[in-house]
Amino acid sequence: MTAWQRDFAKRAPWFLLPALGLLAVFVIWPLGRALWWSVSDADLLAPERARWMGLGNYSDLLTDPRFRRAFFNTALFAVLIVPLQTAAALGLALWVNRPERAWRWLRVVFFLPVVVSLPVLAVVWSLLYQPEQAGETGLVNAALGIFGIEGQAWLRDPQLALPALAAMSIWQGVGLQMMVFLAGLQGVPREQLEAAQIDGAGAWRRLVHVVLPSLRNTLVFVVTVTTILAFRLFVQPYLMTRGGPEDRTLSLVQYIYEATFLNLELGRACAAAVLFLTWVGLLTWMQRMFFGEEKS
Amino acid sequence: MVVSDGRAAETIRVWSHQGQEAESRALRKIAAVFNEVNRGRGWSVELTFFPDFQYTEKLAVAAAAGDLPDAFDLDGPLVARFVEAGLLADVSEVYPREELADFLPTIIEQGTIGGRLYALGSFDSALLLYYDREMLARADVSAPAEGKGWSWAEFVDACEKLKAAGMEPVGLHMNESADEWFTYAFSPVVWSGGGELIDVEARRVRGVLASEENVRSVRAWQGLFARGFAATDPVEPDPFGQGKTAMDWSGHWMARSHLKAKGERLGAMPLPMLAEPSAPCGSWCWAISARTEKRAVAEAWLRWVTGVKTGVVPTVRANGAVPSRRSAFAHFPEYSEIPYRIFREQLETSARARPRTAFYATLTQRFAAALRDISRGADVEARLRKAEDEVQRVIDRKTRSVAEVAR
Amino acid sequence: MKRGLTWRVAAMWVGSVAVAVVFLAPLLWAVAGSFREEAAIFRLDASSLWDVDTWTLSNYADGWRRAALGPALLVSVAQVALIVGGGLIVNALAAYAFARMTFRGRDGLFAAVVMLIILPVEVIAVPMFFTARDLGLTGEFGAAMAGLTLPFMAKAFNIYFLRQHFLALPVQLEEAAAMDGAGVWTQFWRVALPSVKPALATVVVLDVLTHWGDFLWPLMIGTRESTRTVQIGLANLFTQPPVQWGDILACAVMATLPVLLMFRWLQRYIVATQVQTGIK
Repeated sequence: MTAWQRDFAKRAPWFLLPALGLLAVFVIWPLGRALWWSVSDADLLAPERARWMGLGNYSDLLTDPRFRRAFFNTALFAVLIVPLQTAAALGLALWVNRPERAWRWLRVVFFLPVVVSLPVLAVVWSLLYQPEQAGETGLVNAALGIFGIEGQAWLRDPQLALPALAAMSIWQGVGLQMMVFLAGLQGVPREQLEAAQIDGAGAWRRLVHVVLPSLRNTLVFVVTVTTILAFRLFVQPYLMTRGGPEDRTLSLVQYIYEATFLNLELGRACAAAVLFLTWVGLLTWMQRMFFGEEKS
Repeated sequence: MVVSDGRAAETIRVWSHQGQEAESRALRKIAAVFNEVNRGRGWSVELTFFPDFQYTEKLAVAAAAGDLPDAFDLDGPLVARFVEAGLLADVSEVYPREELADFLPTIIEQGTIGGRLYALGSFDSALLLYYDREMLARADVSAPAEGKGWSWAEFVDACEKLKAAGMEPVGLHMNESADEWFTYAFSPVVWSGGGELIDVEARRVRGVLASEENVRSVRAWQGLFARGFAATDPVEPDPFGQGKTAMDWSGHWMARSHLKAKGERLGAMPLPMLAEPSAPCGSWCWAISARTEKRAVAEAWLRWVTGVKTGVVPTVRANGAVPSRRSAFAHFPEYSEIPYRIFREQLETSARARPRTAFYATLTQRFAAALRDISRGADVEARLRKAEDEVQRVIDRKTRSVAEVAR
Repeated sequence: MKRGLTWRVAAMWVGSVAVAVVFLAPLLWAVAGSFREEAAIFRLDASSLWDVDTWTLSNYADGWRRAALGPALLVSVAQVALIVGGGLIVNALAAYAFARMTFRGRDGLFAAVVMLIILPVEVIAVPMFFTARDLGLTGEFGAAMAGLTLPFMAKAFNIYFLRQHFLALPVQLEEAAAMDGAGVWTQFWRVALPSVKPALATVVVLDVLTHWGDFLWPLMIGTRESTRTVQIGLANLFTQPPVQWGDILACAVMATLPVLLMFRWLQRYIVATQVQTGIK
């Protein structure tokens, strides 16, 4: 250890204290409380009467078909979202990564949906997805009609509802990942790109051999974060489909929300939250193992 | 602050959901007058509005944290759950018995749990079938005698004629995003067919919600969509007012706007019945927190906001709901006419409160989800049975947990 | 060669416009709705758009008043500014420590922090509310503002994100500064922090977006109308019968503009043409 590093290490507590202190108070402490409630029969309206009930909530959840359904839906949503949204974001980032002013405006366009509040977008998209009725049809079906594709009853078809929500979510969120990729692209060494170009490498080869390797960390990051965000799915089904049709869009967070505020089963909701966190944590960890630690 | 005679001023916190603009304004005024009148005693209310959306969640979290306001309004069907958790004060004694008799029976029913009164409203609700006289005439459909409703067969027959005449027969507002609409609007179909949603005493939905009668009734209801009499996913919030549908399955809250749009053409009748007449009721009502330390002020507020001249009349004037007290009707001349007269008649005779059970929130959500799926073609019996299972699971868990406490 | 280039440029423009249309169409539909009379909004066919008689500005005036948007905007701006400002400092400090300082248990501690990223607020809102209540962060205006902001300043995601960018900085930068006699603080404040500006800007954008859209938490914390945020004002419109879609869309437009302007302003930092590393 050099003197420089030793000097640094001594200051570490002061650098860490504010953030970790806040996290401890506002996240860890509540988590601890949630952990205790998760092994109790706490009722939201009277949590002080909570009594110990061991792992009852957990075993009950694992056998609850509705919980399993929520888990399955959310996982399916993630499987749909993660590869598509990542690829789309990378594509858009490469597309608009040019210095002229016009491209800056295009970036704003792609980012726009991220900025609008989800409740409003949920309403707008419910209308866009409308199937034909009384001679009028929603924008989505009308647009598909131009290409001769037959309209669908998107949000009310059990097979299509979740993919429809996924499509809307990608549209809504892809601008954010695009920005992250754009930031990452600024780190691509220009010298290497120029050298490759001089060597006569085409766009594709430059992408595969120069850009992607230097985007590696960003890529791992985007995949991880998109996975986490996908598992947090809540507002879209809560507002657009209420979890239907036939429970096909019921998400995990929605299940937890329902358990808390509708059934008022605080203990059970906390147990579901703990399971949720364990699962997503495990998934994130597995992803990191798979991709390897990011290199500094 | 210290009032003139030296006692400390007492201010109670009061929460309310944000209703229509005029309604909230009226409530603010009611509170202001209360404060004015009670200035000498040093009593006042501090009124805060919260969005209707997730207001119930707000109340639940406040209750959990022991932070409920001294008085608040809540939706009628939630009273039972709050009472079970010991959160509401018994208000049976707030009014003398003879004055309580002035309230509509539905209001008393809604606020009564286990024989004790916990909540009182300043207004009630009503649901009926509006129709456009001209459109009906065009399809050669004759409406029943005034004040009477159709049988289900007559209703279906009318729909058929209207459709044959190229009109959209009826709007059922299936685009409503709140689960509550479905339970409120279509429980009468179940009740009318002789069924129940839940056996409140036995805490049982299994074998009740998907009973033979209910399957039959809900199938009849499903027929309205299957035969194209009603849209499963309409876009328009008010197709009847826009002249798109000939009939409207809707509430008192549309009366003013329908009258304005249709004038003389507007007709109204009770909901069509399968076996017996049936109608829903219930709305927001006022309760006092069991933990309040300013009980006297809170009770004074409750009396004020449900008092005929101090609360009921100004509120109803603003929101157009049905007054909760018989003596208040004298202030509203429109109650001698259609549709208003039917509102009152219904509430005095055929209307009934939604199930007063601690599991209402779960029940209404699962029932609403089932109705949505059924309207789009799901198998009635299987879907109701699924809802039954889901609700019963929640009930069983809670009951088990309570039984363990008893042990 | 020249000709080919022109074709490529043309193709790029056509492609760009096509994709832009896909992205903009739903939003334009919403914006158009905000300028239309209530009955016209639900006309799904686009041709009715040209019916000038159905255009109106009254949605903006009505929405502004009914949602009490003026004060709500102020509260939201204050809330977001506090979260972002406070958060930027505490998170950058922690991220820097995790990136540059070696101490026992660092990796374990960092892994624990990373775990917290996965926590959505809906999932622990209730226990969090209990903590806020225990600390007296509900109720009066000042307390409620603290309750709105303090819990979200430290953010696992931001720490993780900033640490990545600190890691990507060449250590030589700081070592050179150290050689010149700069202390730890100076190295952090004068050397490291300015070098990760794009990351900081990204964090600001993310935080603003997240908290501008907050609904559940402000609803739970606030017990006074003085702490109503934009989303709560908007929610009022969703449920005050009769629901006026024109007002909702108009308010949504007005509530989006501030965030949009902020983004337009910050994007120059996010996508600096070249990060100035100082090393060739």
